[in-house]
Amino acid sequence: MPVDAKPDIRNDAIALNSEPGYLSIRDLRKEFDGFVAVDDVNLDVRKGEIFALLGGSGSGKSTLLRCLAGFETPTKGSILLDGQPITALPPYERPINMMFQSYALFPHMTVEQNIAFGLKQDGMAKDAITRRVGEMLELVQLEKLGKRKPHQLSGGQQQRVALARSLAKGPKLLLLDEPMGALDKKLRSKMQLELVNIIEQLGVTCVMVTHDQEEAMTMATRIAVMDQGWIQQIGKPDDIYEQPANRFVASFIGSVNLFEGVIDEDLPEYVTVRTADFPAPIYVGHGITGYEGQPVAFALRPEKVHIAKDEPEGETNKAFGVVEDIAYFGSHSVYHVRLPSGAKILSNFANMKRWDSDGITWNDEVWVSWDDNDGVVLTS
Amino acid sequence: MSQTDKNAAGWRRWVPGVRASVIGVPYLWLLLFFAIPFLIVLKISFSKMAVAMPPYTAIVEYVDNAFNVNLNLGNYTALFTDSQYVLAYLSSIKIALISTVLTLLIGYPMAYVISRMSPSARNIAMMLVVLPSWTSFLIRVYAWIGILDSNGILNRWLMAAGLIDTPLQILNTPLAAYIGIVYCYLPFMVLPLYTNLVKLDHRLLEAAYDLGAKPWQAFLKITLPLSRNGIVAGFMLVMIPAVGEFVIPEMLGGPGTLMIGRVLWSEFFTNRDWPLASAVAVVMLVLLLIPILIFNRSQQRELEGKLA
Repeated sequence: MPVDAKPDIRNDAIALNSEPGYLSIRDLRKEFDGFVAVDDVNLDVRKGEIFALLGGSGSGKSTLLRCLAGFETPTKGSILLDGQPITALPPYERPINMMFQSYALFPHMTVEQNIAFGLKQDGMAKDAITRRVGEMLELVQLEKLGKRKPHQLSGGQQQRVALARSLAKGPKLLLLDEPMGALDKKLRSKMQLELVNIIEQLGVTCVMVTHDQEEAMTMATRIAVMDQGWIQQIGKPDDIYEQPANRFVASFIGSVNLFEGVIDEDLPEYVTVRTADFPAPIYVGHGITGYEGQPVAFALRPEKVHIAKDEPEGETNKAFGVVEDIAYFGSHSVYHVRLPSGAKILSNFANMKRWDSDGITWNDEVWVSWDDNDGVVLTS
Repeated sequence: MSQTDKNAAGWRRWVPGVRASVIGVPYLWLLLFFAIPFLIVLKISFSKMAVAMPPYTAIVEYVDNAFNVNLNLGNYTALFTDSQYVLAYLSSIKIALISTVLTLLIGYPMAYVISRMSPSARNIAMMLVVLPSWTSFLIRVYAWIGILDSNGILNRWLMAAGLIDTPLQILNTPLAAYIGIVYCYLPFMVLPLYTNLVKLDHRLLEAAYDLGAKPWQAFLKITLPLSRNGIVAGFMLVMIPAVGEFVIPEMLGGPGTLMIGRVLWSEFFTNRDWPLASAVAVVMLVLLLIPILIFNRSQQRELEGKLA
C-alpha cells in the first residue's frame, strides 16, 4: 500500500473506488490458450469520466478494452454498463462504440457514409440520418469534406471522422484505442485537448487505452496503470505520479530515483529509512505503521531533488556527490550525481536563464537535497 | 566534344540500354507472337477461299500494270447474316457466362474460407487448389469422361447406392461442358479472390460489428464491396478463355454444345475455309476486347491501391 502524506485525499480515493460505477467490471479474467492476459480486474468508471488504461505492451490493457467492446469473451467475471449486464452481448448489440487504433475507416465509403453506417444499422429514417451526420460533421469541423473518401484525408482529419463515426450513435460508452497512435507529435498534443473538449461537450463516458503516459495524464480524469494483466493502481493523474502504489508504478510513470532500504524508526509522525546508498538514514515526514524492520523502497522524483554547489542549510536529507553526466532537454537538464556509496541520483534542474556562466558542470562536486515530504516509501 | 565522339554518341543512341532491353523483350515477344500473327489472320479474313496452296486468294494483285486491292467483306457479312454463326457466338457467351457465374459461386466461399485460415493452413489449401494444374489439362478433361460416362464412376456409384435405376446421360450434354469448364477454371477464380480477400483488414469488420452490423451484414457491406476488384479479375480470367474454349466442349459437351471454338475448328480443318475461320477469330477477339479492357482497368486500380 502507498504511504500517504495527505490521508484525506487517500480516503476520498477509496470512497470513489468503492462507489458502484456507471461501468463496472467485476473479477474479470481472460485467458488465451493457457496464457492469462487479464486477471482479477475490478474497475468502476463513473458517468462522464474519461478513464485511461495505461500500460506497456502485453499489460492486458488492449484485451480489457476488447472485452468491453465485445470482441473478446471474458473467461470469468462480469461487465455491467448502466446497471445492465453486457458480458454475454455480441459487439453489435452493445451500446458501446469504439474509435479504433489507425481508425479502421471503411475505404470504399465517403466520410458521410462512414458516419452514417451505424445509424443505418439502427434503421434510422433517411432524413434523420442526414441531419445527424450533419451535426457530427459540424462537431468535428469537417462540414466541407463529407463527400471525400478516407484516403483523400490527412491523418488528423481521418481521426476526426473516426471520432464522429463512433459518436454518431450516441453510445453509452466510448472506447478509444491508442487514439493518438497514428499522429505525429505536434498534432498529438493539439488533438488530445480537442478530443477531450468534444467528449466533455457531449458528456459521454469514455475508456481509453494508451501506452503513452503523457497522453493518459493530459486526457484522463483517472488512470488505471496495468502490468502483466493486473491493475497496479487506480487514481487521478497526480495521485499516480506523486503517490505511486508500488515500485512498478513509480518507475513506469516518469523517471524516479529508487533506493532500497529498511524502516529504521517507525513513528506516527515520521519514519526513517536506512539505506546502503546514503550515509544517514532518510527522514520521511509522514507515518507508516507496522513496517518497522521491513524492506522498503524510497522513491524520489528527480524534480524534487535540489542540486547546489554549497551545502544546503537546515535540510535533513542531503548528500554529497560528483556530477557524472548532464542530459540537456532544453527546458530542463537532468544531472546524474554519483554518491560516494556508488549510488546514482538524478536531479532535474529547470533552465530558467539563457546563459548560466557559473552553472554546474561535469565533475563538479555538488550537494543534493530534498524536503521531508518529497519522497514516498513503497512497501511493495 | 570531337566530331568522332559525336558520331559515336549518334549511333549509340540506337543501341538499347539495359532498361530498354528489359522492357523491350516482352514487347518483342508480343509483336512476334501476337501482333504479327494477328495481322496475318486479319489479312486472311479479308480474302476469298480458293482451292490452292495456301487456300485463299491474295488481297493485293499486280495485274496489267495495275495494283488490284480486293478487300472481301463477304466473310464478315456471312457471319452476321448466317444465323448459325450468330447463334454460335451467343451460345458461347451464354455457356461462358453461366460457367463463370458458377465458378464464382463455388470459388468465392472457397477463397473466403482459405483467407480466414491460419497462414500455414492457407498455404496448404492454396497448394491443393493449384495442384491439379500440374497434370496436363487434356488428361484432366479426359478423366472427366471416365467419371461422367454412362458406365462411369458417378453413374456406378449412384446405381450402387440405389439412387437411380438407369444411368444418367451426362457425358455429351451441355451439362458435362459446364462441369468441365467450372472444374478447369476454378483455380483462376480462386487465386485472384484469395489474394484480394487475404488483404482484407479484419479491423474493418470489427468496426462494422461495433457499429451494429451483424456478421452477414458486415459481409455484404464491407467484405463484398472491398473484394470487387478480385471478383472482376477472377470473372475475366475465367470468362475470356471460356468463350473461346474448344477442348472441353469437344470432349465432354457432345454435338449439342454449340461453341464458337468448335465452329472455328470445323471451318478451318473440315471446310478448309481459312478466310471465314479467320473472320470468326477476328470477331471473337473484338467481342472479348470489352471484357479485357474492364479487366485491365480493375487491375490498374488494384495496383494503384485505390478502392471503389
